[in-house]
Amino acid sequence: MSGSAAPVNWDPMIVGFLAGFISRVLYIRSGKSHNPGYPSGYVIQLALAVIASMIGSVVIVALLGKQFTAATFLTLAATQFFNVRTNERKTLEQEEGLILVGRGAGYIEGIAITYEARNFLAMLTALSTSLAAELNLWVGIVAGIVFIIVGEMYMSGPRVGDMVDVEPTKLRFEKGTLLYAGKVMLMEVGLADSRQRFLTYGMGVTLTPRNARGQAVLWNIAQRQAISHEAAAAVGVQKDVGYPEQTPLCRMEMPSGTGIAALAIIPVEQDMDKLIKAIQNVPVLESGKWSRMHDSRKRKEDAHG
Amino acid sequence: MADSPVPAMFAIVTTNKDAVVSGGMAPVFVAPNEVERDRVAMWMCRITNATVHDLHNGTVILTVSHS
Repeated sequence: MSGSAAPVNWDPMIVGFLAGFISRVLYIRSGKSHNPGYPSGYVIQLALAVIASMIGSVVIVALLGKQFTAATFLTLAATQFFNVRTNERKTLEQEEGLILVGRGAGYIEGIAITYEARNFLAMLTALSTSLAAELNLWVGIVAGIVFIIVGEMYMSGPRVGDMVDVEPTKLRFEKGTLLYAGKVMLMEVGLADSRQRFLTYGMGVTLTPRNARGQAVLWNIAQRQAISHEAAAAVGVQKDVGYPEQTPLCRMEMPSGTGIAALAIIPVEQDMDKLIKAIQNVPVLESGKWSRMHDSRKRKEDAHG
Repeated sequence: MADSPVPAMFAIVTTNKDAVVSGGMAPVFVAPNEVERDRVAMWMCRITNATVHDLHNGTVILTVSHS
């Protein structure tokens, strides 16, 4: 390169780096339930945060310094982040066989996508902040704050609690062996011993959709598996290998198909509030967001008024 | 996949001895009464990670979910 490069203005890079880093680190808070193995998990997250925001913030400075080779290499480095998603998915898929209540493929994909997106978001935040900081340092700082807030708003997608009412309900058995939570039939429990456990220790909730969108969310089986997983993660579940009938179940009211779902769980910790909060906080999965049914229902509703 | 288990029947325990025919896909265990039937079913399901379902005609079936 040219030996007589102009003196580099480091400020935009530093501001951009910080904005990207903060945007990425904020994700650790919301994503910690997905990333077990805390100390080692944090190291990976921080390393990714540094690399991503570094890449984003350096590009503009490199371009302005006429270091086109450097800028090209940086875009090359950015493409490496596509592997992050595959890695995250692989980790979670391997874990799936080791946990008692699985996340389900849909939830895993959602987590992996968010994970990848967060890295690119950090890059974009760093990039646009450093661009703004090139104009003026203070503009850059303000822009960085704005980008972080906007990013947070857009990246924290809807939660199940936003469109579904979660209420406690009683578990009971009809016709001797059919387990009901409220009006919803969940499963057939053949063992008297297990039935007794459900009646003594079991907790049940009904999930009533507030609108067509909430109903579309509940019809998604991957979404209900995610709800079961988060419920079990929150209050624990009395289950081990050899006790498949004590798996928490989330089922729709069938055959009437009213769109109401119910969940039964035999928890370790009898804490209804915790259970309800956990279910309300389950993120709405990407695959459940826009189904055809939801779309046509909405149009019908709009037509009515 | 945990989302959609496909259960397969793998054993039958019944008190209704007359209903048992030879052949079929699952081993049949005949129990003299309902108490003994439930005991056998419970032992087998704990050993084999199966789920017990009552057909309410003196017969329970054990199913395993292939994941």
